[in-house]
Amino acid sequence: MKLNYIIILLAGFFLIQCSPKVADKMEEKVVEEVTTNTEAWRSSSPAAGPARKINLGTFNTFDMDNGLKVIVVENHKLPRVSYSLSLMNKQINEKDKAGMVSFLGQMLNSGTTNRTKAELDKAKDFIGANVNASGFGVFATSLTKHQDKLLDLMTDILYNPSFPKDEFDKILKQNLSGIESSKSDPNAMAGNVAAVVNYGASHPYGEVETAETYNSISIKDCKEYYNTFFKPNNAYLTIVGDITIDEAKANAQKYFGDWKKGDVPNVTHDMPARPDEAKVALVNKDGAVQSVVRITYPLDYKIGSDDMMAASCMNSILGGGIFMGRLMQNLREDKAFTYGARSSITPNKLVGNFNASASVRTEVTDSSIVEFLYEMNRMASEPVSEDDLQLAKNSLAGSFARSLESPQTLARFARNIAEYNLPEDYYSTYLERLQAVTVADVQNAARKYVTADRANIVVVGNKDEIADKIKVFDSDGELDYYDAFGNKLEQMDTPLPMDITGEIVINDYLKAVGGAGKLQAVKTLESHFTTEMMGQAINIDMYQMAPNMMAMTVGNGQMVFQEMKFDGTTAMTGGMGQSQTATEGPVFETTKEQAVMFPQLSYKADELELKGIDNVEGESCYKVIVTRDGKSETQYYSVKTGLLMRSVKSEEAAPGQVVTMTTDMSDYKEVGGIMIPHKMVTAGAMPTPMVMEAKSIKVNEAIDKAMFEIK
Amino acid sequence: MRFFFIAIISLLLSGFASAQMNKIDFVEYDLDNGLHVILHQDASTPIVTVSIMYHVGSKNEKPDKTGFAHFFEHLLFEGSENIERGEYDSYIEKAGGTLNANTSYDRTYYFEILPSNQLELGLWLESERLLHAKVENKGIETQREVVKEERRQRIDNQPYGSILEETMKRLFTKHPYKWPIIGYMEHLNAAEEMDYKNFYSDFYVPNNAVLSIAGDLDIEQTKVWVEKYFGSIPRGTKEIYRPNVIEPEMTGEVRDTVYDNIQLPAVIQAYRIPAQGTPDFYAVDMLSTLLSRGGSSRLNKTIVEDQQKALTVGSFPLALEDYSVNLAFAITNMGIDPSEVESSIDAEIKKAQEELMSDEEFQKLRNQMENDFVSSNSRVAGIAESLANYHMYFGDANLINTELDRYLAVTKEDIREAARKYLRPDRRVVLYYLPKQNNTP
Repeated sequence: MKLNYIIILLAGFFLIQCSPKVADKMEEKVVEEVTTNTEAWRSSSPAAGPARKINLGTFNTFDMDNGLKVIVVENHKLPRVSYSLSLMNKQINEKDKAGMVSFLGQMLNSGTTNRTKAELDKAKDFIGANVNASGFGVFATSLTKHQDKLLDLMTDILYNPSFPKDEFDKILKQNLSGIESSKSDPNAMAGNVAAVVNYGASHPYGEVETAETYNSISIKDCKEYYNTFFKPNNAYLTIVGDITIDEAKANAQKYFGDWKKGDVPNVTHDMPARPDEAKVALVNKDGAVQSVVRITYPLDYKIGSDDMMAASCMNSILGGGIFMGRLMQNLREDKAFTYGARSSITPNKLVGNFNASASVRTEVTDSSIVEFLYEMNRMASEPVSEDDLQLAKNSLAGSFARSLESPQTLARFARNIAEYNLPEDYYSTYLERLQAVTVADVQNAARKYVTADRANIVVVGNKDEIADKIKVFDSDGELDYYDAFGNKLEQMDTPLPMDITGEIVINDYLKAVGGAGKLQAVKTLESHFTTEMMGQAINIDMYQMAPNMMAMTVGNGQMVFQEMKFDGTTAMTGGMGQSQTATEGPVFETTKEQAVMFPQLSYKADELELKGIDNVEGESCYKVIVTRDGKSETQYYSVKTGLLMRSVKSEEAAPGQVVTMTTDMSDYKEVGGIMIPHKMVTAGAMPTPMVMEAKSIKVNEAIDKAMFEIK
Repeated sequence: MRFFFIAIISLLLSGFASAQMNKIDFVEYDLDNGLHVILHQDASTPIVTVSIMYHVGSKNEKPDKTGFAHFFEHLLFEGSENIERGEYDSYIEKAGGTLNANTSYDRTYYFEILPSNQLELGLWLESERLLHAKVENKGIETQREVVKEERRQRIDNQPYGSILEETMKRLFTKHPYKWPIIGYMEHLNAAEEMDYKNFYSDFYVPNNAVLSIAGDLDIEQTKVWVEKYFGSIPRGTKEIYRPNVIEPEMTGEVRDTVYDNIQLPAVIQAYRIPAQGTPDFYAVDMLSTLLSRGGSSRLNKTIVEDQQKALTVGSFPLALEDYSVNLAFAITNMGIDPSEVESSIDAEIKKAQEELMSDEEFQKLRNQMENDFVSSNSRVAGIAESLANYHMYFGDANLINTELDRYLAVTKEDIREAARKYLRPDRRVVLYYLPKQNNTP
């Protein structure tokens, strides 16, 4: 897995390849003869031949005594076979333990009562196999000749998980790092909020995984789920590849026949309803230069729905997989608002959904929504042309045909037929039904499924730039604000008291931390923070001396990775045996700024702009934009305590590459009469946020001045 | 596009046409103009892949005109005398197909996957590209900007994105592998319309190409169409430039540091190894598998799982026509000095040089490679490309069935010998990638 990542990374450079369709703004045409061509027939494209009949192949299904449903697709093209065991129960509510089922899957791969994780890895590699469990089943594949070993491994994982504690801790840690990075990923934010507004928090699809839910998961929860749902009468076994039906039956009996059936609770959920009106949900992302726009709502739409073929054509024309979708043509080719705009209509056994989305430049956020809604409305109000419909049919037929190259596709069809009670010939008549779709069918599907006036419009972007402009799309004109994990925020739009200014907020802050006098009397400040990165403990040691000297090191106790100094006139940065000094330029400016202990002391009224009251981690805060030397920083001060809760800053890390860093401050404690935050969390600069906790902070203790000298 | 490299890896591993594998039948012949044609029929799914591989990659460029081969890959989607700008795409989409292309150090490859009743369309499009593509100033200007954007996106702004470029320019001092496939922007900026026209007429000729078609096709009908669309395309008259540059043996280790926009340091060790297709290449390939394929591989087990010094580690050969390269790399865990990771990699390489692996481990290796090979030809698109590759590089398309023997001939001793002979600390490039210093934590 990990190796693949790097190989993929390097591949991009070993083989450089263009995406053939590129934005092409130069329309002027210069026709030039390169060679002489006298073959007149060349000037037009050849006609297609008669379409070949698609032969889907056959599959077999049978039920075992313990209730396991088996599907067999025989295909001897390659000497390989795969066994896929998948549970059929509907997804359960995980509630405050969202992520538990996924943890269980990772645990199943992490050891059995017969084998440690290392032994599992070794056994898989020895036969060159792939065996992978999830919370919904186990997939295993290898060459046919190794299938006994493969099945031995697969069933060991399936029947004998050992749930080792040390592996659970590793899994928790990895997942926590992963979830942190989603805080700053606008698409993950949009996904979380879309899930909540579409399905509601009481539906399993509306549950959002967070650090809190991860921390609530126990090994016991995983075991309980495993013991409840991993039963043969709750599963399909799909066998695909180089195997005869008789061999498949024998193997199913040998390896799965003794698996004991059990009672599996029936999971049911209410069907989430489509909204009655248009609702706009906004997630603020300070400093964002792009907005993610997602227009989405739940649909009662399953595989086998009568108008599925028409709906597929309809979506293909609107913004499906092909480049010529209307959304792509309009928002990218015509308006250049975005690199790509697409739509999808997805069937699902619990609840389906419609989704149209794009990442667009901030300043065209509202114009983009206008175009999305225009194209959605047009689908329903205007019949499509025969040409458009034919293109959609060709595209769908082509991708259907290509998908058949993999025998797994046929297995999937067989499973769908069984699961959704479809007619046996559902897929063998796919192309006929596709060709039978009419322009009227497409319009009917659009009227039924594409409702621009009954939709959730989820936008992730810079609130200050877009909030006022996108209100108009909400039926009642009121925006709903959410945080990155889909929690609704109530206090985003609190009006400002008339008599408050930025200067007052800063003065309140200075008072809250101990008063300007106390701060001015600080001659030295020594701060020792610890943090953790990739499982390593890191120390950050910072020494500051008035008026503007600073020395900081980042290391692990044995070595220093990075150091930074400012002696009042010169900045030095270094680490790993390198160092550089500067007396001007961006490095100098950053270092100099870092050397100032309490910058608020020197803020001037004209540098401050009070933007309003916002919610930060559940607390109402004044939002103040501080602009000094042409650089802006957004700071949030608690209305209640006056303390600084958050600062947001954008820096150009490399030409054209803006990094937005958000630092949250908490756990304020008094040191030498001054309130100092003992916990700081910085997100945006690195793949995962950095959590810094103070080990010790000292005020006005003697510091050797030599410490700041730059050699 | 990206999985393509994995396809190359599988291709390298593709030795194992074992008795149980179904033989891939094909016919091949030359047109009078020198175009080599390979046809493979497989009617199980009504799709067909039409591909052309041109034997021109970045190594065929002149040292002061780098990046042309890749640039042409872009340019040749611009249109032809009979295909308007941007229409390559829409023809394929309207037919329900898909298309793409890519460029390596040694060759350039274009392909379409179409419903099989649209085979003739694919032939027409590819013949237009070869016969009279539009090479004109407007397209050149546009694509120049696109390529610059591509360079920014893939190399300059991609963490660790410059690894290959930084490695190759130190590993090679004379041979054209020393410059990046995407080329130097100043060369593309300086190039004139005439340069492009010359490149096109030099390399885009039938006698420098392999037309490989696989899928649901009728062999005789396809032969007739191939003759119709390609038969009249004139043979190239000039001798095709193939660099014959001897890269002198390295005389010592080259060690350097690269600063990049990354969070975690990385270590790269690169060695020159023999050209693809040589017996020693197969041995090095298996050595790399021993080191880094799968959770139980030596580097992964030791450095990632047990010592937890690295987030990820790997070793793999880049198969090239003149000299291949073996790249080992690791991304360190935070707080681990790259030198610690490097010494762990060195220890594993030393072990491979000194100790003979157990029979069990050797068997695992053979099993893994057999598995990868057998799985590699599951789709007609992959088969079309493999056939073209085997013909172009080794003159033997049937290696798709027989290359197995070359891997099976490798012994444990050969692998140890390859480690001793080619993974020499005194003949390698070692790079440390370190985070650029500018942000405070």
